[in-house]
Amino acid sequence: MAKRSIIQIKDLKKVYDLGAFKVQALKGLNFDIEEGSYTAIMGPSGSGKSTLLNILGCLDRPSNGAYILGDDDVAHMDDKELSGVRGSRIGFIFQSYNLIQQLNVVENIHVPLFYQGKDISDHYDHCVKLAEKVGLADRLDHRPMQLSGGQQQRVAVARSLVNEPLMLLADEPTGNLDSTTEQEILDILDELHGEGRTLVIVTHDDAVAERAERVIHLKDGLVDQDIRKGAAKAVAN
Amino acid sequence: MRGSSLIQIVQVGFKSLRLHKLRSGLTMLGMIIGVWAVIVLVAIGEGASHDAQEAIKALGAQNVIIRSVKPMSDKVQLQGSDMEWETIYGLKNSDASRISKTVPGVIKVLPVLTQRKNITHGKRDVDCQLIGTYPYYPQFTQSKMVAGTFLNEIEEARKENSCVLTLELAEKLFAGHNPLMEKVVIRGFESAQVFRVKGIIQERVEGAKLPQQKDALGRTISANVFIPLSTFKALFGIKNIDRSVGSLSVERVELSEIRVEFGSADEVMEALPLLREALDKTRRGKVDYEIQVPINELNALKAQKARDTRMLMYIACISLLVGGIGIMNIMLATVTERTQEIGVRRAMGATQKDITVQFLIETLILCLLGGSIGVCGGWGFAWVRHHLLHTTTIVTEWSVLAAFGLSVTVGLVFGLYPARRAALLDPIEALRHA
Repeated sequence: MAKRSIIQIKDLKKVYDLGAFKVQALKGLNFDIEEGSYTAIMGPSGSGKSTLLNILGCLDRPSNGAYILGDDDVAHMDDKELSGVRGSRIGFIFQSYNLIQQLNVVENIHVPLFYQGKDISDHYDHCVKLAEKVGLADRLDHRPMQLSGGQQQRVAVARSLVNEPLMLLADEPTGNLDSTTEQEILDILDELHGEGRTLVIVTHDDAVAERAERVIHLKDGLVDQDIRKGAAKAVAN
Repeated sequence: MRGSSLIQIVQVGFKSLRLHKLRSGLTMLGMIIGVWAVIVLVAIGEGASHDAQEAIKALGAQNVIIRSVKPMSDKVQLQGSDMEWETIYGLKNSDASRISKTVPGVIKVLPVLTQRKNITHGKRDVDCQLIGTYPYYPQFTQSKMVAGTFLNEIEEARKENSCVLTLELAEKLFAGHNPLMEKVVIRGFESAQVFRVKGIIQERVEGAKLPQQKDALGRTISANVFIPLSTFKALFGIKNIDRSVGSLSVERVELSEIRVEFGSADEVMEALPLLREALDKTRRGKVDYEIQVPINELNALKAQKARDTRMLMYIACISLLVGGIGIMNIMLATVTERTQEIGVRRAMGATQKDITVQFLIETLILCLLGGSIGVCGGWGFAWVRHHLLHTTTIVTEWSVLAAFGLSVTVGLVFGLYPARRAALLDPIEALRHA
C-alpha cells in the first residue's frame, strides 16, 4: 500500500556563516518520510545530525532547498508561523525531558495546547488520559522534581502526543536513562508506532535505532546510507 | 489574547515566583518600601498641613488680627523709682473705632484685652488668661457654647462680674461638678474679684494648637476666662504688673488685640494698606502692633505644601526607580536561569510575544503585589498613627493611586527589557542551555 509522505526533503542545505568562513552543515539532503513510519537518523558528531533535527523540528530554517511538512513548505516561514507549526504538528521528546519545573504532570502535558489557545479546563480529561496511557495515572499532581527520570520522560512522551502531531520528533530520548528504563520508553515508542504514529528519532545508539524500520545514516552533511528493514515488521503489523 | 489564557499566564507567573519565595520577597521589598514611604510621608505631611490650616481657618479667612507688641527697650518710658518701670504701648480703643469708621469693607471690630491671672474655686487653683471682650466673641471666632450662655450686652453695660470658662479650664477647676452659677475668684497682682460662671465655651481649635495664644513669656495658655470688657477695665484696669523678671515692671496696654472682620477674604487684601494707615496715624513711627492676616498665612501654607508634595514625589520616584532597577536585575537573572524553560516553551509552540507577555506579567505581579503590600502597610501605619497615637495623619486617594500607578509603570518599564531578552533568545541555544 502506498503511504502518504508527510515529510519531503529536497536538496536541503544549511550553511552557518561564522564571519571569517562558512560552514556547510548540510550539503543537499533528499528523502521522504511516510505517514506511520518509524525512522532513526544516525551519524557521528559533525555529520549534520543536530542541524537536521533542528530543521525537522522547525526550530531552524534551511539555507536552501525545500522542507514540506504535511502540505506546507515550512522552509520559508517566519518565526511566528514556525512557532505555530511546532505547536500543532510536531511532538518533541528531548534527551533531558525538558519539563517545566513549576508545573505538575497534567499541566506539563497541556503546555503545547496552551500555546494553541486551548484552555486546560476544556482539555483536562484528554491530558489525564495521556498521563494514564504512559502509566502515570497516580502521579497527576506531581512536579517534575518528584519524578524519576523514566517517569519524567513518560510525561514528555504524553506531552508530545497532546496536540495530535503529524510527527513525533525524539532527540536521544533514552540518552539519560538506565537500560531498564530505556527499554520501557522504547516499548512505549513501539506502541505508539503500532498505533500508526509517525516517529523520527535522532540517536547515536544502535539499540535505539534497532527498533526503527528505517535508519538514515548521515555523514559530512549528506545521506550516507538509507536502510529500510521495515518489510518484515510491516508485515508483522 | 483571550482572558482565560491570561488568567493561566498569571497563575503560571505566581507558580514561578513561588518557586523562589525568598528572592521574590526581597525583590518586592524595594517596591513595598517605596510605596509605603510615599503613602506614609504624604499622609504625615497632609495631616500636619491639615492641622495648621484648621488653626488658621479658625481665625477666619475674612479676618485680620491686630496685636499689641511691646516695642524695643529704647522706647520704654521711666517713671517713679529706679526699680519701677512702666511701659505704655499697644492698641487703644480709639484705634478700634477709627478702623471701623475709616477702613472700607469692615463689618465688625472686636476688641480683646488679655492679662495673665490666677483663678481659684475652693482649693483648686489654675493659671489662666483673663480675656475681656464683647458679647459677639463666639460668633466672631466660630466658637461654640457647651453649656450656659456667653456674656451679653446688659452685663457689658452694667460691668457685671460674670464669666465664661473654656471647657478645658472648667474641667480642671471643677473636676466633674457643674460649674454653672458657681463662684470663682480671679486674682491679679493688685486685686481679687469674685465672679459667677455663666457658661462654658469650646473654642474651634483647642488653645494648644493655636500658636499665637502665648503670654508675655512665651508660655502657651489654653485656660481662658472671658469677662465683659467693661468689667475688666473697671476691676483690673489696663495696668498689667509683672514681677517675674526681678524688678517690678508695669505695662499699660489698653487692648491686647483688635480683631477685624471683613465681608470676604478678597476685601482683606485691598483694605490692608488702609488698615495700616489708620493705625500709623497716631503713632509717630512707633511700632507697637503686628497684623496677622490668616488668609495670607493660609495661602503661604498651601504653597509650602505644594512644594513639599512635589519634593515627596521626586523622592518617591527615585525610590521606585531604585526598586525598579532591582526588579529588572532579578528578572534578568531569572531569564538566564530559566533559559531552558524558555527554549522548551518555544519548542512547544510559544511565539516571541507569548514569552514576552509571560515575563512581563511576572514582573507586573511582583510590582503589583509589592505595591499592594506597600499600600496596606502605609494605610495601616497611618491608621495606627491617627487613631492610636492621635496625630493627624491623612491618607490621600491620589497618593495611593500615584503609588500604585508608579509601581505598574515601573513593572512595565523595567519588565519589558528582560521579557524581550527572553523572547529573542534563539530557541535552539535556549534548549541546549543546561
